[in-house]
Amino acid sequence: MIQTGLWLVALGALVGAAAVVVAPERRRHVVAGSVTALVGVGGVLAGLGGLGGSTWTAVAPGLLPLGEARLAVDALSGAFLLLIGAVAVAAGVYGIGYTAPGGRHAQDLPAAHDQHLPDAAAHHASPAASRTAQATVPLFVAAMLLVPAAASVTTFLVLWELMALTSLLLVLTEHRLRASVREAGLWYAGMTHAGLVAIMTAFALVAANVGGESFDAIRAGAADLSPTVRTVALVLVLLGFGSKAGMVPLHVWLPRAHPEAPSHVSALMSAAMVKLGVYGLIRVAFDLLGGAPRWWGLLVLALGCLSALYGVLQASVAVDLKRLLAYSTSENVGLMLIGLGAAAVFAADGNRVLAGVVMAAAVLHAFNHAAFKTVLFLGAGSVLRSTGLRDLDALGGLVRRMPVTTALVAVGTLGAAALPPGNGFVSEWVLLQGLIHSVGPGGSPVVAVSIPVAVGVVALTAGLGVATFVKAFGVGFLALPRSTAAAEATESPLPMRVGMGLAAGVCLALGLLPAVAARPLDRVLGVLPEVRSIDPLADSAVTLRLNGIAGSMSPLVIAVGLVLAGTAVVALVRRLSRGVPRRVAPAWGCGAIERDPRQEYTATSFAEPLTRVFDDVLRPEQDVDVTPLAESRYLIESVTFRQRVPDRLEARIYPPLLAAATAWGRWSRRLARGSVHTYLAYGFVGLLAALLLAGVTG
Amino acid sequence: MSAAMTTIAATAAGPTGVASVQLLDLLCGGVLLTAVLILWRRELAAIVRLLALQGVFIAGLAALVAGAEGGVAGYLVALGVLALKTFVIPAVLRRVLADSGEARETEPLVNVAASLLAAALLTLLAYVVSQPLVALAPSAATRALPVGVAVVLLGFFVLVTRRRALSQVVGFLLLDNGITTTAFLAASGVPLVVELGVSLDVLLVVLVLQILAARMRTTFGGTDLDELNELRD
Repeated sequence: MIQTGLWLVALGALVGAAAVVVAPERRRHVVAGSVTALVGVGGVLAGLGGLGGSTWTAVAPGLLPLGEARLAVDALSGAFLLLIGAVAVAAGVYGIGYTAPGGRHAQDLPAAHDQHLPDAAAHHASPAASRTAQATVPLFVAAMLLVPAAASVTTFLVLWELMALTSLLLVLTEHRLRASVREAGLWYAGMTHAGLVAIMTAFALVAANVGGESFDAIRAGAADLSPTVRTVALVLVLLGFGSKAGMVPLHVWLPRAHPEAPSHVSALMSAAMVKLGVYGLIRVAFDLLGGAPRWWGLLVLALGCLSALYGVLQASVAVDLKRLLAYSTSENVGLMLIGLGAAAVFAADGNRVLAGVVMAAAVLHAFNHAAFKTVLFLGAGSVLRSTGLRDLDALGGLVRRMPVTTALVAVGTLGAAALPPGNGFVSEWVLLQGLIHSVGPGGSPVVAVSIPVAVGVVALTAGLGVATFVKAFGVGFLALPRSTAAAEATESPLPMRVGMGLAAGVCLALGLLPAVAARPLDRVLGVLPEVRSIDPLADSAVTLRLNGIAGSMSPLVIAVGLVLAGTAVVALVRRLSRGVPRRVAPAWGCGAIERDPRQEYTATSFAEPLTRVFDDVLRPEQDVDVTPLAESRYLIESVTFRQRVPDRLEARIYPPLLAAATAWGRWSRRLARGSVHTYLAYGFVGLLAALLLAGVTG
Repeated sequence: MSAAMTTIAATAAGPTGVASVQLLDLLCGGVLLTAVLILWRRELAAIVRLLALQGVFIAGLAALVAGAEGGVAGYLVALGVLALKTFVIPAVLRRVLADSGEARETEPLVNVAASLLAAALLTLLAYVVSQPLVALAPSAATRALPVGVAVVLLGFFVLVTRRRALSQVVGFLLLDNGITTTAFLAASGVPLVVELGVSLDVLLVVLVLQILAARMRTTFGGTDLDELNELRD
């Protein structure tokens, strides 16, 4: 099954990309979407095979210039193959509709309250429907799918870079429409390449010291690595994979690239690609190096807390729907990092049971986040395609115009808000259980301080997450439309609804029956030496049980309970109101006859209390323009209020780095004076230095 | 690198008799001497004569190696080297010289005395860095290997320090001669096809450089490379 799946991935992507290139224009979106979904199906097959407990290895000597290509699938690879494959299926099906002719997503985004909509733009072909973009999507998906299957350093790095390049191409799809796309591409390219350098250095260091570049050789030799090499490698992989995962403060590319990419690509990047950063950390730190020391765990824990809090804070005040989702990705990656960090700390303290629980929580949360973030990004894409808007302050009222999309997004929102019976709740519950059970007598002081802090962070994050997604859903989809574009919205084409529906179905399944994931998750943990044979999760029909610590939960029962309670309340109200005369009037009108969208909460005003509370961290920029009447300056004609919440962390850290890089570039330009003799002399001196070095050391 | 080393180790037979070993050393000495003399002389015509003479020595080296190996192909290679390095290329260079009217290498970036000192140091360096190569398969031919490396370094030195376009060509040819010498000494002869390909390449480069020098002269009125300093971003 694994082999069939991977063949489907590789051949499907190559043949499929070629088919997309030669397909006639009016069939291209169908071919591209189907091919992407097919590649995704291959990933799902291989992933199910890996999670089912079978392993598979293949070696192709001489395929890569400097070595053999080596692939292997175990349960850990299988988990991520399944995750990426499933996201790709949903995004592929969705892409058929998203890149079909029509829609308003291919135009310049109008300013917040600009009500003017150019009609001509509505009929433009989207750049996402271009030949290059459409052919790149299946290649990107295949590259992502093969990364977790790579089993040697060279193979891993080649596939990793292929994934980075294809995703960069896709981020740049709409570069002709908006300058912000080019800027986003530049940031993404910079961050992903800096990350690659870190990962490559770490791998090179480790491979050179164990004397082999296959993952098997590293596993065998990891025990004899010197502490220095291990330390440097662990820090470097944290930086490299952290930048891909969107870990704060390396998250800067995320809120730029995710909003600017075409929405099905945003979903692929945010739900699937970012997870590979988490995969890389698990694979290298916990599998290849055989476990991480406690200081590393605490570092990851701290960075995870920072990412979770900072991500959710920025998301709670974001007004651009896709930017909000991008920051929420940082938040959720932060939660996964908290799991990984706590697992390393617990394992270092010898508490393998708790290490297993929090590690399982991290992997489960990767799945849950992938499911609800796919729905949400695809939903945001549907809104964008239908209205041309990403600005929550200009949306609203979509529940009447786009009922199916709204219902599906509601499922995703429930998951993202981490409320039962949403799927995000399950993994956050497992994570909290693991963290809370560590608190007690006998623990080391560092753990006794840091873990309760982490518990607080997770709780605060969950609370702010609820506020964020109530805002996103309430302001964006409910109430009255705040612009003509939102008022004229139309429901998305069928393929888009199917794509979102698939992902929403997975959300529901994971939210209601998480016990299904218990066995496969135990197999995933079986790959990692530190938590092997712990089997932290056990299933008994509909209940998820934690082994070793007292904890069990049955989301299905919670959901049934909620439904019963809701029905009971409705029945009770009906019964009590029997005999009372019924009057139909607009709700929330407060007695006013006329309702105006300007009376509603906007995203900005909804988040105002939060902005006020976290003023010191967020430091919003506010602009109030008061225009008095011409006749009297005591009478006011209009007041405009504008608020921007720039990324303060980015503004603190990155400008000095960029300035230093620019200064260095300027300085090195002095080396190029224009004289041929100088250039020749550089070569000559370089040669002599190399020879001298060889002569002295040899 | 390791592949090249095994080739050397496998085929480092070369000339063995006392007379032929002395002849080999003499020829290698000639190659090195002409290279140093090229640094010394500033008359461009004299430099071209020295280059032709170096060609003779290298051809002799090729013939000596061919004699030790046996077979006709080696002699053909030697004949080709002789034709190219002693007659064809010097003829092309003389034509450039006649057209240009620049007879001397005026003011090199490093003066002659310092150049000769540098040549001594570079030769020393060549001997130091060649030690591991010689140690792989000690024989008369490989012991002379540093000469080839030294000529490569001297050629590079000419490229860096001389101003005229013709001197640049000379530097490039010295580089090539050094590589050829190293090849003959280390690999006991070069297959005919390889030598043919390399020779044609060198000839082509010289012809291109000849045209380039002519263009430079018509455009700038001289071939001082340091006047071409717009080559930057």
